Amino acid sequence: MASGSIIEIKGLSKTYGSGSKQTAALSNLDLSVNRGEIFGYLGPNGAGKTTTIRLLLDLIRPSQGDAKIFGMDVRADSVEVHRRIGFFPAELSLWEGRSGDQIIQYVASVRGDAKGIVKHAGELAERLDLDTTKRVRDLSSGNKRKLGLVIAMMHSPELLILDEPTGGLDPLVQQTFHTMMDEYRDKGKTVFLSSHVLSEVQAICDRVGILRDGELKAVESVEKITNVEFNWVDVNFRDAVPAGLQQKLENMPTITDVSANGARVRMRMIGDFDPLLRAISDGYVESLHIEEPTLEEIFLAYYSGDKETS
Amino acid sequence: MIGSVFLETLKQTWKQMIYWGIGLAAMALLIVLMVPLFDMQSVATLLESFPPVILAMVGIGEDLAIFTTNEGFVAIGFFGKSALIFAVYPVVMGMRISANEEDNGTSDVLLSLPIARAQVMAEKFLAYALSMVGVVVLIYLGLHVGVVLGGVELDVARLAEVTFYLIPLMVFVMAATMLIAVLVRRRTVALGIVTAFVIISYMLQTIGAAAEGTVAESMGAISFLTYYNAGEILSQGFIWPHIAGFVGLSVVMLLASLYRYEQRDIAV
Repeated sequence: MASGSIIEIKGLSKTYGSGSKQTAALSNLDLSVNRGEIFGYLGPNGAGKTTTIRLLLDLIRPSQGDAKIFGMDVRADSVEVHRRIGFFPAELSLWEGRSGDQIIQYVASVRGDAKGIVKHAGELAERLDLDTTKRVRDLSSGNKRKLGLVIAMMHSPELLILDEPTGGLDPLVQQTFHTMMDEYRDKGKTVFLSSHVLSEVQAICDRVGILRDGELKAVESVEKITNVEFNWVDVNFRDAVPAGLQQKLENMPTITDVSANGARVRMRMIGDFDPLLRAISDGYVESLHIEEPTLEEIFLAYYSGDKETS
Repeated sequence: MIGSVFLETLKQTWKQMIYWGIGLAAMALLIVLMVPLFDMQSVATLLESFPPVILAMVGIGEDLAIFTTNEGFVAIGFFGKSALIFAVYPVVMGMRISANEEDNGTSDVLLSLPIARAQVMAEKFLAYALSMVGVVVLIYLGLHVGVVLGGVELDVARLAEVTFYLIPLMVFVMAATMLIAVLVRRRTVALGIVTAFVIISYMLQTIGAAAEGTVAESMGAISFLTYYNAGEILSQGFIWPHIAGFVGLSVVMLLASLYRYEQRDIAV
């Protein structure tokens, strides 16, 4: 296990079916997640995020490779591993006929030390504004997800594995959730968070892994991944956009996506600014705005093949 | 913690156990209340005129004397002919052990807890088996209530063996259901296979009983229902080799289910 790694995945692969119908859900995944970090695991539907998480939880078995959590094999030591983790599944399903309190009691009794866990569950439910006396079938989807979060967090696990946890939560609860995650990090605990809500990952994660078609395309810090080579540039001229400028910009190899509107021209630019500054010098530039790409745009850039990284 | 899944399963099941138990007890009660409506000797005389094949098909053996008693009427009229109904409850419970939870997704939450898959399955199995004891006890109470309400002359104690013999039968059906569900994973497919298994068993038993000395008779031996013969149990008491067969096969199927469930992927 690498120093400080909580999750250590080596060559993990998962295929479904056999023969010509064989489908690779995850291919040769190498990944480590460090103690005390919030790791964002990004990818579109079908990228392999949930497969990775189900492998980590020993719900499915790998075709190749292995995974360790806390230095223990996720399969051989699954009971001990599960004792120290909390899990929130993407497709959360709970016992419909039972109330929140009954489910909390059940899960707490399986975990042992039910009294302490139930008390903490009550505190979490209060923070999330969740009524745990209602039966699951009477809860809205948002409240079901709150209950799922309570179940995942009520034993204060060392590692939280959360698969798309905030979908269906209102913005206020999402904010509370983000605060909870920050608190988790402050306590030196680790969070593995799968999401396609990039703004959320941008807001709370330390590092991000980007998954596509079952392959890990990149692992970077959020800061680094945001600091990519392209920027959006808006140039505002005092008068109209100089004649021929748009064509001129479109012909420049470092500039793409040029659009002109009245006195304003917007473009996506890679590399140094000097060629651009020379090109626009024909007009009177009133202002120039440089906008860093959002994580969503970086995300799309990865998927469109603009950026291939290790 | 050991026993948590067992207790929770009982909590989630006790209502169904009561409903099923009351339903089956009501059927038992009805049969008991019907006893005074029949002159058993006349019935026996009537039955003697039937070909043995027909009698065998409806679960009546050569010993018609059993049928001339009130206990024999209840044993064959209720326990003998309701075998398919008794198989439904264990099928429902057997599906709940793994298939239903996998199908609706709750198994992901449960199996992410610090508990081995085999333990989850074993505790559920025991809880549902206990619920079957509850159902059978309610059936037995139904017989008693029938006697009291109808003032029927019926030695209910003689029917105890026929009644409690249902427990190994039902546990066997549940174990078979559980194994099939673990092997095929998909709930609907498993349910289809289990339903076919029970119905084919019923057909084999019926045909086998009616076709003595033919190949069909030996095919009847394949059916698990052949080993729950209410008339035989009433006259001979517990047939221990048959009970041992039910228990032994249930244990084998339980162990096979535990092994397979431990090895395979949990369905999404």
